[in-house]
Amino acid sequence: MVQEPAIPLYEEVVDGFNKLLSGPTAAVAGPRAESNSLRRAREAAFGRFRERGFPSIKDEDWRYTQIARFLKDKYDLSGTFDQDQSALADKAEIPSLDSYRIVLVNGTWQRNASRGVPPSGLLLLTTAEAKQDPVFAHYFEQRTGDHHFTALNAALFTDGIFIRVDANAVPDRPLHIVHVYTADRNLLVQPRHVVIVNRNAALTVIESVVSGSPPDGPRILVNSVAEIMVEQDAQLEHILIQTAGQSTRLIQHTTVRQKRQSLYNNFTVTLPGSELVRNELHVRMEEEYSESHLYGLYLTGGRQLVDNHTLVDHQKPSCQSNELYKGVLLDQSTGIFNGKIYVHKDAQKTNAFQQNNNLVIGDKATIDSKPQLEIFADDVKCSHGSTVGQFSEEALFYLRSRGIGEQTAKGLLINAFAFDVTEKIRTPALRSHINHLIGDHIPAVNS
Amino acid sequence: MPNDNEIIDNIANKEYEFGFVTDIEMDTAPVGLDESTIRYISEKKNEPEWLLNWRLKGFQAFQREKLPEWQNFPMPSIDFQKISYYAAPKSKKKYDSLDQVDPELLATFEKLGIPLSEQKTLAGVAVDVVFDSISVKTTYKEKLAELGIIFCSFGEAVQEHPELVQKYLGSVVPYSDNIFAALNAAVFSDGSFVYIPKGVRCPMELSTYFRINTENTGQFERTLIIADEGSYVSYLEGCTAPMRDENQLHAAVVELIALGNAEIKYSTVQNWYPGDKEGKGGIYNFVTKRGICKGDHGKISWTQVETGSSITWKYPSVILQGDHSTGEFYSVAVTRNRQIADTGTKMHHIGRNTRSRIISKGISAGHGNNSYRGLVQIGPKADEARNFTQCDSLLIGDQCGAHTFPYIESKNNSATVEHEATTSKIGEDQIFYLNQRGIDSEKAVALIINGYAREVLNQLPMEFAVEAQKLLSITLEGSVG
Repeated sequence: MVQEPAIPLYEEVVDGFNKLLSGPTAAVAGPRAESNSLRRAREAAFGRFRERGFPSIKDEDWRYTQIARFLKDKYDLSGTFDQDQSALADKAEIPSLDSYRIVLVNGTWQRNASRGVPPSGLLLLTTAEAKQDPVFAHYFEQRTGDHHFTALNAALFTDGIFIRVDANAVPDRPLHIVHVYTADRNLLVQPRHVVIVNRNAALTVIESVVSGSPPDGPRILVNSVAEIMVEQDAQLEHILIQTAGQSTRLIQHTTVRQKRQSLYNNFTVTLPGSELVRNELHVRMEEEYSESHLYGLYLTGGRQLVDNHTLVDHQKPSCQSNELYKGVLLDQSTGIFNGKIYVHKDAQKTNAFQQNNNLVIGDKATIDSKPQLEIFADDVKCSHGSTVGQFSEEALFYLRSRGIGEQTAKGLLINAFAFDVTEKIRTPALRSHINHLIGDHIPAVNS
Repeated sequence: MPNDNEIIDNIANKEYEFGFVTDIEMDTAPVGLDESTIRYISEKKNEPEWLLNWRLKGFQAFQREKLPEWQNFPMPSIDFQKISYYAAPKSKKKYDSLDQVDPELLATFEKLGIPLSEQKTLAGVAVDVVFDSISVKTTYKEKLAELGIIFCSFGEAVQEHPELVQKYLGSVVPYSDNIFAALNAAVFSDGSFVYIPKGVRCPMELSTYFRINTENTGQFERTLIIADEGSYVSYLEGCTAPMRDENQLHAAVVELIALGNAEIKYSTVQNWYPGDKEGKGGIYNFVTKRGICKGDHGKISWTQVETGSSITWKYPSVILQGDHSTGEFYSVAVTRNRQIADTGTKMHHIGRNTRSRIISKGISAGHGNNSYRGLVQIGPKADEARNFTQCDSLLIGDQCGAHTFPYIESKNNSATVEHEATTSKIGEDQIFYLNQRGIDSEKAVALIINGYAREVLNQLPMEFAVEAQKLLSITLEGSVG
């Protein structure tokens, strides 16, 4: 299918890709240094992108997210930034959290803004460095199923971070990755990250997303892909806090592959800001006895659109997954939740649960929820639930009859609603940080 | 006592009980579809100009539309040119008593266990028998006429009440709704028409038995039910079809219109030929059913028990336009062998204080695949709208599949929507419990299944509930006797 000509970005990326292939250009980092097989993989990915183009609302996975209106602007494929971005990175500071901090500006690692020397057993490289590594190529070239934005990223990714934890290593502090997005003109940024947690290792990764440009400033479209590998008996705790500003448009895809008896926990917290947030989280349980807990909290405001797409793919028996996404929708914002649980024929003894609750506060707020079950094995326990509702009149009355003002009472109820997710965060400093972030936006409650 | 595997094998191997072909002379249209086919049907039925034009518009829409691709099963290839679009029993006489009816036809119903003679004496049930496409017998018509209730075949309604038909035909399911609705609009042969006047409570259950009979004849039924202000009607639809090899397409349309304070209850028991255990043959049941609560305080309730057809694909829906209106959907769908069911409902909340309730129970056995697909849509003006959805799936055997695709779209901050779904197999502990009390596994499974479906079966009118329970048992016989 040929892409509708309405999206100028399409021409832009086609042009950009041709430049990338046709030799030395500063536009994309070090294409000359890439191995032939990597280049072939890029070409194949670009082929897949050209086949399908950008998604439209006719694509089932994009029916509620009209992406075309975010692609109308003219974006540059590369940009420059001069000044030091440490001040911006400090916006993502988590008080009293002891961590190794690394700062990525538009996907490129700024070593001078980083803090703490990672211990042995924790290897950090830029993706540009890592792509020489056969391990990277091994993971990268295996991907063939992606399309739309993930394929575009595979074809044109510039940089990112490569994280590897050696077998049996357990770093003493969490790794805090601060993604800073800033631009002086409209920019398309396509970072690609890889996280590998080897056998019996454990790691906590906290990712914060912040941005620099003012609300009406240049637009930054981020098309980011992360590939995560959790090997046998390994554990990864993965927290994502999205607090970027309005002019940032985030499309973020994460694929997690889990081996035998591994544990992967994900928290995705989205706060008012970015006008578009699309989170895709795919968890593939490739071996037995793996376990995964996915928690999401989206507090949306203004005209924001926050779209969470999750897929839990139970490929092998005796795995467990549990998913809880909660949304609070303020103002005229739109929330979208699409959760899919897929249980393959082999995956007997699967336990898979999924829950999505939405608190609709803004009188023009919209919520589209689509929990999905596809089950091909009979000896399973699977369920999902989805609710849309408001403040409980009785609870509000109870609080107010005890002398608590309406605003405060509503704030309390929102906190209580979010508590189901926040209480699951094990690091106290992080938990209180997220509670504060929520608190910052709750005075916005009206109606 | 059979073990689990035998039970499962039995389910998978059960042959279709109601398979036979009745030899009655048929008046059949030439095979194929073009404008002349539509003119032929329209002429045969002596239709007015406006209806012919409407059919032709439907045909144009049909030609424009493409077969959908979003469904959760591979679309069978259907050669629309190989179908004969009109078949009617040759004898054109109108019958006054059963004696005049073709004895073969009567015997057919005898085999199905629904003898007309019995039905006639069964107080409270008027049967409009549709044999293939044309109504041959309408009972209790006089009695209903006294109350001003119109219950007749669609063809008759066109002749006798054209103003009602013209006003409401296509007002809920327009000819351009989807490809099968367009096809139906173009070639619909007959169907039932019901009109309940203001303030009348229909004193009996209205029912129609559909039966597909002629080889290679798609059945394109069209039902239109209008309940005027403050009226009530309960309508039953039940189906069985004889065994054959070639796939048959059934693309019916049902439109319900409930005006202010009116209530329509529509119940279906569907048991068409599901194909053999390799999935060969069987009916494609692609039906568009939709109701609208036009006035305030209206209510529409769909109940369905789907055990037959090789593919069942339908979403009986309710448009809740009037304030305080109510929509309900109760469904049991059973798939086994290679059967596919992709069914569910759509509830469009438009008016204030509208409420809807969805209960769906899927049972998959053998290689069957069962999908629930539902949409709950709350419009910006639907203040205080309320929905509750529960859909459960039961898996019997490890070759079947259960799928749930609920869509919730809310544009109102005072709406409350709840959805929950579970998937599981029959608990070994439950069977063990019953075994302990001297109930063998087969009966135990039957009890559990009946209990599982009870919430839906309870919604059926008395006469149907018995039949539906029997049907569930027959369908899953071997395990649920």
